[in-house]
Amino acid sequence: MADLTTKLGRLTLKNPVMTASGTFGYGMEYDSFFPISKLGAVVVKGIAPWQSHGNPTPRVAEVTSGMLNAIGLQGPGIDKFLNDEHYMPFLRKSGATVIVNIWGKKIEDYAEVAARLDAESEGIAALEINVSCPNVKEGGLAFGTDPAMMGKVVAAVRAATKLPLITKLSPNVTKIADFAKSAEANGSDMVSLINTIPAMAIDIETFRPKIANITGGLSGPAVKPVAVRMVYEASRAVKIPVIGMGGIMTGEDAIEFFLAGASAIAVGTAIFADPLAPLHVLDGINAWLDRKGVASLKEIIGAVKI
Amino acid sequence: MDHECRIKRNEPLKSGYWRIVFEAPEIAAAARGGQFVHVKITPMKDRILRRPFSISNADPVTGELTVVYKVVGHGTAELAQMRAGESCRILGPLGNAYTVPDAETFPILAAGGYGTAALYLTARNAPQKGILLLGARTKEDLILVEDFKKLGFEVRIATNDGSVGHKGFVTELLPGALEGRDKAKCLVCGCGPTPMLLALGKLTLEQNVLAELSLDQHMCCGVGACFACVVKIKDTTSPDGWRYSRSCKEGPVYNATEVYYG
Repeated sequence: MADLTTKLGRLTLKNPVMTASGTFGYGMEYDSFFPISKLGAVVVKGIAPWQSHGNPTPRVAEVTSGMLNAIGLQGPGIDKFLNDEHYMPFLRKSGATVIVNIWGKKIEDYAEVAARLDAESEGIAALEINVSCPNVKEGGLAFGTDPAMMGKVVAAVRAATKLPLITKLSPNVTKIADFAKSAEANGSDMVSLINTIPAMAIDIETFRPKIANITGGLSGPAVKPVAVRMVYEASRAVKIPVIGMGGIMTGEDAIEFFLAGASAIAVGTAIFADPLAPLHVLDGINAWLDRKGVASLKEIIGAVKI
Repeated sequence: MDHECRIKRNEPLKSGYWRIVFEAPEIAAAARGGQFVHVKITPMKDRILRRPFSISNADPVTGELTVVYKVVGHGTAELAQMRAGESCRILGPLGNAYTVPDAETFPILAAGGYGTAALYLTARNAPQKGILLLGARTKEDLILVEDFKKLGFEVRIATNDGSVGHKGFVTELLPGALEGRDKAKCLVCGCGPTPMLLALGKLTLEQNVLAELSLDQHMCCGVGACFACVVKIKDTTSPDGWRYSRSCKEGPVYNATEVYYG
């Protein structure tokens, strides 16, 4: 079996398979299906300084080879996340490698959550900065579509914590390389991409949008070629590691991201179809590496022949 | 919890409603009335999500799991094409359940449309045979009436067009069903469209009778991870007086006193 140890700067994972934020709850939801410590990392749903309701329903709609969602970052807020037994206390006991996704409406909000997590960082491997959610009015995408603004958020979070930082990039930009470079220049240890793509679906019987937020983020196999292209472009623009995601359903899908330049990958929408999807993807990566006689995953990162 | 289940029968009932029976011993042994299963409809290749269905019946002895469904979209259209011997992956049983009435409790079941499907197992397990209040748009949408009668339940019907029974809403049948009964010994179990359930919930609070309502919304993961299927429940700690609760995990069955009606 090939060596799957994954080094992302100063963060080392036992394997390269993570969960995409928002698709794995806070870990506990899937603990009855498999030991979540088997994953490279568990990336939890976004945490803000406050508790939030999220968007009205319906929040999801299925489309061909994918889905739209506009959950709107419903969440417990930092206090409850750190103290309530369903969140961080559970994750610490689970033995999982935990990455906490953070968001806010103002730059100071991001810094506040980062500082709170830094102060109680036992069991937290890294933070992921969400500057790319398409479904909230303030914050999120407003920061993620201007490289200078995004850089300010990254710099503020960098100043607030010593934890390794991942900046999650939006695909809703013309030149992804500029955003990867801005994250790198402002102290991000990694970038992850892609977040969902703003999209819309309409019910032709009622004439109404299929989700209450009118538009939502497209995810699933439909976005995979877009994600592979952006991972390819971002990984060539920066020296920091890239975490690739977008429509990964199988080990073969993951391999495509490694070849494009990703050092690790995340499984998202596939989990909704199959709770064991991240483990199946991991098995598929192993099987492919064995079939190709590749001794270490590192050998194929960015190995696409141009 | 995710099982490969063979189809034993898949047959039309009437007017686009179908009944499918799976060989699912683990699920049938664990299922309680009000719970649901999350089904990967095998032939669907370019639609990746599972479809949630209420458990209509579950027999621990035969290992049979029964689901009643209506063909309304891609998933159910494909499901109706499946034949005995083929199989689906089924996650379940999921969610919470109605309280099983004890020997002292008189069950009043209130269904809108094929909400009857989700109430059948509760009716079967109730020691006292009570009343089914069934509301539908027309007589074409009245499903499982004979099945409830066979269990010994009295069936009272309301249709919007008056084609059978009372012309009007199913909620209008509740006061009659409670008449002359000790309300402290009645339990109302509701399943149907959300507006019907909210009306039913408010009415049971006015009537001072215990009620449990099966609420849901478009569902995605089915296990509490994605926060798609949320419904509003009361929360005094929230400045708004409510919070969104995941109907797949904390529900789908909520006490009428928990539900936020604002």
